[in-house]
Amino acid sequence: MGQGRFTGVGVGLRRPHLEQVAGREDHGVPFWETCPENVIGEGGRFHRMTRAILEREPILTHGLAMSVGGFDPWDEAYLQDLGEFILHSGTPWHSEHLCFTSVDGSCLHELLPIPFTREALRHTITRVRGLQSRLPVPLLLENITYYAELGNAEMDEADFVSAVLEGADVGWLLDVNNVYVNALNFGFDPKEWLSRMPLERVAQLHIAGHRKFGDLTIDTHGADVIDPVIDLMQWTLARLGRPVPVLLERDNHIPALDALLAERARLQRAYDAALALCEVRHA
Amino acid sequence: MHESRTLRLQRAMGALVLDGDETAIEADPGRVARRHDLPGADQRAFRDQVLGMLTYRELARASLIEPLETMFPVLKALLDGTESWEPCVQAFLDARMVRSSQYRDIAAAFLGWLATSRWGLERWPFLLELAHAEILETLVARFPDSDPIEGLHPDPGPADFVVLDPATQVVTYTHAVHRACVEAPSPEPRPTHLLAFRDEAGLARLMELTAATAALLVRAQSQPLAEAAAALDIPDPAELTRLLQDLRREGAIAGFQATPPFTS
Ligand SMILES: [Fe+2]
Repeated sequence: MGQGRFTGVGVGLRRPHLEQVAGREDHGVPFWETCPENVIGEGGRFHRMTRAILEREPILTHGLAMSVGGFDPWDEAYLQDLGEFILHSGTPWHSEHLCFTSVDGSCLHELLPIPFTREALRHTITRVRGLQSRLPVPLLLENITYYAELGNAEMDEADFVSAVLEGADVGWLLDVNNVYVNALNFGFDPKEWLSRMPLERVAQLHIAGHRKFGDLTIDTHGADVIDPVIDLMQWTLARLGRPVPVLLERDNHIPALDALLAERARLQRAYDAALALCEVRHA
Repeated sequence: MHESRTLRLQRAMGALVLDGDETAIEADPGRVARRHDLPGADQRAFRDQVLGMLTYRELARASLIEPLETMFPVLKALLDGTESWEPCVQAFLDARMVRSSQYRDIAAAFLGWLATSRWGLERWPFLLELAHAEILETLVARFPDSDPIEGLHPDPGPADFVVLDPATQVVTYTHAVHRACVEAPSPEPRPTHLLAFRDEAGLARLMELTAATAALLVRAQSQPLAEAAAALDIPDPAELTRLLQDLRREGAIAGFQATPPFTS
């Protein structure tokens, strides 16, 4: 999948950092991830800074609001713009969430869980194939956090996600924090869960922070990454045995750029250590 | 044709998020599933996972309502005064008007809904103006970039037409809504003319205009400058030229041309 330039730990490009990132090249971030929804059809000062950064830096694209498992017709005009944006960015793939975000044309702006049923599985595979056929690069799907199963489940999440990836024949953006949070909320072992999955489809990882609210842990992307999640990232990299890019997501309580870069450097050291261990084992 | 169970489940989730009857939903999320003709096992799944289902309600409503609270603080302060903000937001959610998957479009969708539904206008005749004024600068700041318009000259002649920058807006309000603030959210009734435009650095700027200048900027887009000025009794052509040159330098006017912009 042409990932030569994309290895190590990258960072999600966020508005509060645009000015600083545009002004310096010594940030040490090997690549950035951007949300095309926030760039396409924009204008003005922040937009110009974003464009300048995107022209200069290696970029991966990550969609926020494509209702992959929904029923609303694709926005063909947007998909056309998205295709052009993707080609211009040079990203080797484009990722979307395995969820639905709109119903009857009404956008809910939340990543909502697709029912874990055979009917929803067939429907989702058809939708994913349809979306892939409209994109100029391979599509990756990201596993989400979920706080309830929608309706009476006929299979578990692992079987559902595997069957979509296999059935639609697409790559996987594996969010290790989402696995960890789901494991806490639904009481399973994240490593056992991952062992059941088609890891050969993983092209990228996401990592982020989360927060516990009462009995439920929420994927807030608003705190530093905790050690057990870093451990899960390292365990996954060791299992994969290849340097897939990891992307640090931070969407809330966004710290100053220097603090975020320090967090990235900490993750990069963990990343390098995990891969060095792989090499020793293979030597 | 009978809708698929998957679609009915998604519709039930949509209703669980957007519907207003909080107490009934909290008491029994299963009712939403029943209303969507879902079988007993699905109703039970909604009911048994009450914490998770209500978390979805909270998260999705927060992502829909937060941009409104951020973008319309004065409107919120005004309506909070009579405990009307939440009913207003719920009426907006009931209308299912968030149709764009772009997050930045939520505030504009709310403004569009206020305009079409005329919600609250009888009680607060300035409500729509106030909301418009609150997002005017953001709309201008983020207006999609486009290639520069070609064939314009920098200095206006009497036979020229004015070509505004595509991001520029000339607005007229019946109330001084741009002066309203969270502490004093009710604007005084006073005709107000504003020019909102993007400067060289790409930032939005707001300028108060006289009634005559506002009218001229609108008219001179489709009528030669000298004719428009005469029709509006604007006496001093030299002063007018200086003003138009300033506005071009600052970014509000793209330039001037000898043919009407909309027919060329
Ligand atoms: Fe993620």
